[in-house]
Amino acid sequence: MGKESEKHLLSPGVYYLQGSQACTEGAITAGCRVYAGYPITPASEVMEHAALRLPQVGGRFIQMEDEISSASVLLGASWAGAKAMTATSSPGFSLMQEVISFAIMTETPLVIVDVQRPGPGQGYITTSQEDVMQARWGHHGEGSIIALSPASVQEMYDFTIEAFNLAETWRSPVLVMAEETVAHMREPLTIPPQNQIEILTRKKPQDLGIPPHSFLPYGHDIVPPMANWGEGYNVNHVSLVHHEDGNVTKYDRKTHFDSVLRIKQKIEGNVDHISRIETRFMKDCRHVVICYGSVSRTAVEAVMEARRECGIDVGFLRLVTLWPFPETKLREVVDNVDTVFVPEINLGMMKHPITEALRDRCKRIVSIPTLGCLHSPEMILSKIYEVAK
Amino acid sequence: MGGDRRYEIRIAGFGGQGVITVGKILGTAFSVFEGKNSVNTQSYGPESRGGACKSEVVVSDGQINYPYVRKADVLVALSCLAFETYIPDLKKDGILLVDSRSITDIPEQDQYRVYRVPTAEIASETGGVKYQNIVALGALYYLIRDHLEESSLREAIKENLPPETRDVNMAAFTKGIQYVKDHYQALGTREKSHGQGI
Amino acid sequence: MKRHPMLKYLKEKGPAGPRMPTIMCPGCGAGQVLNYTLHAVDDILREDGIKKEEVVFISGVGCSSRLTSHYLEFDSGWTIHGRALPIATGALLANPSLKIIVFTGDGDAMAIGGNHFIHTCRRNLNVTILCINNGLYGMTGGQVAPTTPAGIATTTTPYGNIEEAFDICKMAETAGASYVARWTTAHPRQTIKSIKQGVRKRGSAVIEILSQCPVHKKASAVDMLRELKATTVSIKKTSCQPKGKTPIGVFCDKNKPEWTEKYQEIITQHSSRENR
Repeated sequence: MGKESEKHLLSPGVYYLQGSQACTEGAITAGCRVYAGYPITPASEVMEHAALRLPQVGGRFIQMEDEISSASVLLGASWAGAKAMTATSSPGFSLMQEVISFAIMTETPLVIVDVQRPGPGQGYITTSQEDVMQARWGHHGEGSIIALSPASVQEMYDFTIEAFNLAETWRSPVLVMAEETVAHMREPLTIPPQNQIEILTRKKPQDLGIPPHSFLPYGHDIVPPMANWGEGYNVNHVSLVHHEDGNVTKYDRKTHFDSVLRIKQKIEGNVDHISRIETRFMKDCRHVVICYGSVSRTAVEAVMEARRECGIDVGFLRLVTLWPFPETKLREVVDNVDTVFVPEINLGMMKHPITEALRDRCKRIVSIPTLGCLHSPEMILSKIYEVAK
Repeated sequence: MGGDRRYEIRIAGFGGQGVITVGKILGTAFSVFEGKNSVNTQSYGPESRGGACKSEVVVSDGQINYPYVRKADVLVALSCLAFETYIPDLKKDGILLVDSRSITDIPEQDQYRVYRVPTAEIASETGGVKYQNIVALGALYYLIRDHLEESSLREAIKENLPPETRDVNMAAFTKGIQYVKDHYQALGTREKSHGQGI
Repeated sequence: MKRHPMLKYLKEKGPAGPRMPTIMCPGCGAGQVLNYTLHAVDDILREDGIKKEEVVFISGVGCSSRLTSHYLEFDSGWTIHGRALPIATGALLANPSLKIIVFTGDGDAMAIGGNHFIHTCRRNLNVTILCINNGLYGMTGGQVAPTTPAGIATTTTPYGNIEEAFDICKMAETAGASYVARWTTAHPRQTIKSIKQGVRKRGSAVIEILSQCPVHKKASAVDMLRELKATTVSIKKTSCQPKGKTPIGVFCDKNKPEWTEKYQEIITQHSSRENR
């Protein structure tokens, strides 16, 4: 965009932006004031826009020496009280896994955007959904994760705000699993008035009237209040198995089990509050297409065409949140169908949790895989016609 | 889509001809200044370096789901390679706007409404060959003027291009319009629209 | 029994029970470094009018990093192997008024975190880096480190180390740190003075502290401290380095712009428009 429009970017109105820029704007709106990153195609536009915009809002941007350090910056920034974000693409996302694990165990709110590109290896720089399993299972050890899957420029903005809200609410790293498709496309972005945007921040011990001497950095609640550095709480962040007070020497198996279970359960046990799905044409449908991210744009077009042109009774279900996996919600809306189609820009990844959730609710589950490009409506339609006709 | 018709424009050339910018300007004009929905995508990565490079704009009054061109209503081709790559996706009877110096041989030209404009030549006379894309945009505007206002495109040009090049860009845009006006007076009839002597 | 004056800065026990004694082995130099550091911080808190809550300790992983594991009555983070400096960077970006002291070791700072060490110094971020160099990996059982002298046998160089050792101070100075010094655990007064200078310096301050690991070297701590004195020589006392002796002292102490200061100029210049 030209300089003129950038100057007014935050005022309510319609803008024509790339998904990457919308993502950065969403972060800034959510209160992100520290951004660290390392260039990688196709995610660099997020950081370039952050480099331009962060100082304008009094925030700080830094280009680090790699993705490991970029993600590490978020830890320190979050502990010192800032909302912080990085964006990367798949190979860089691999490098961030240790930090994600650490953030889970230290219950650190932070946001990582993965603009997915194909792999394995250097792969390619086009679009991909090949990191959706890495998002959930890439980090070492137990614990859970929150991952959103945007499908438009507007959602790159909205979901980034939501990611920060979720991170602060649940004291958890939150992933925005974007794809090259949504990161690079331009679409109208509507920025609502600030007072219509919900912005959440972490619960602090001060808010609950807990003084420093009785503060337990990993206690008080299933989501513990979080003390910022510099506010007199002498808080020690530690990822070794710890007691509620942060003590690491008195190891016992029960403390180990209970603390890690709590960290997992605060996410998995609240899946209904955290995770969302979207549905269309689901009433009494015979088949259903289940998808996420930009593929849901192709899929809904294919579903409408199959219904309109061939009278095939096929429904549409989109996973807005990939993790924690909304299994209960899926089972509520999918009951006794013939075929579940799962188009993905990978060789069949989310097909696995979908199968686990719906194996007794359908006759067959059909993967529609592709690599490196968004499905055309024809790719999905031909599979629907092949099975349903 | 909700029944709203998609209008699909594809602009193609080789890297450096500014086809990406044309897509951005068109999308801005449609969405920011006309209040329509539009999605602008572009070819990316190695394919956008040197070889055939493309930018797409899908426009609709309603929701746009599939973001890419399925069957183009309009193809603007500024290089021979781009023309050969993307001509199969142009609708029968679709608008084909070509740079007349780069694309001389158009097989099955009666399938399309063909407009030949020497965009590079006009640009050179106007301020430099780098304004070729805006000359093409002017020509394109006149061909799709039922879909948007000239003022929207002029505003979108201001929005997307550096202020110091504004005057020359506006001049290039005007010349593109004028060329089509001068050479394709009776637009709408296929016989005339083939153009003569260009 | 008279209490150690620095115990006021330590968490001896908490709701889940006692935290002492520390995990450090008998005779380990890391405890000495903690003592020196707390003395330096104690002086600074009294002399400079800095609040205790402005001081933050960060470490990575390794013996030296265990100093912040849960003993300190300060804000602190015991973090990821090699990543203490990027984490300190994040804290500074969020709150540039923090006084950040990083405990690191030769493996943490020179091997897995080597790149971050270089770039922190290059950016001249306002952080004091205390690198406790015992010449090996203590926590994992005495493996070779980038600082292990050539020829030394360790558990992973059973036939002797064929690699040259890093010079941490030269690396820091070349990379752009504002303040660079080397002392040993056998030089308490000088080390305390240097830590004070480092914390007061606006910019990256690197203080390497040569230390003893009696366990893996299978020697007595007292003998090793004597050896540290005997094998080092002050750069003040000699212009050329006597063969086989390690120079100690302050190698570099200069004033140059610090990262957050320079970035503040960008914020000031670009945040004025449109009330942002």
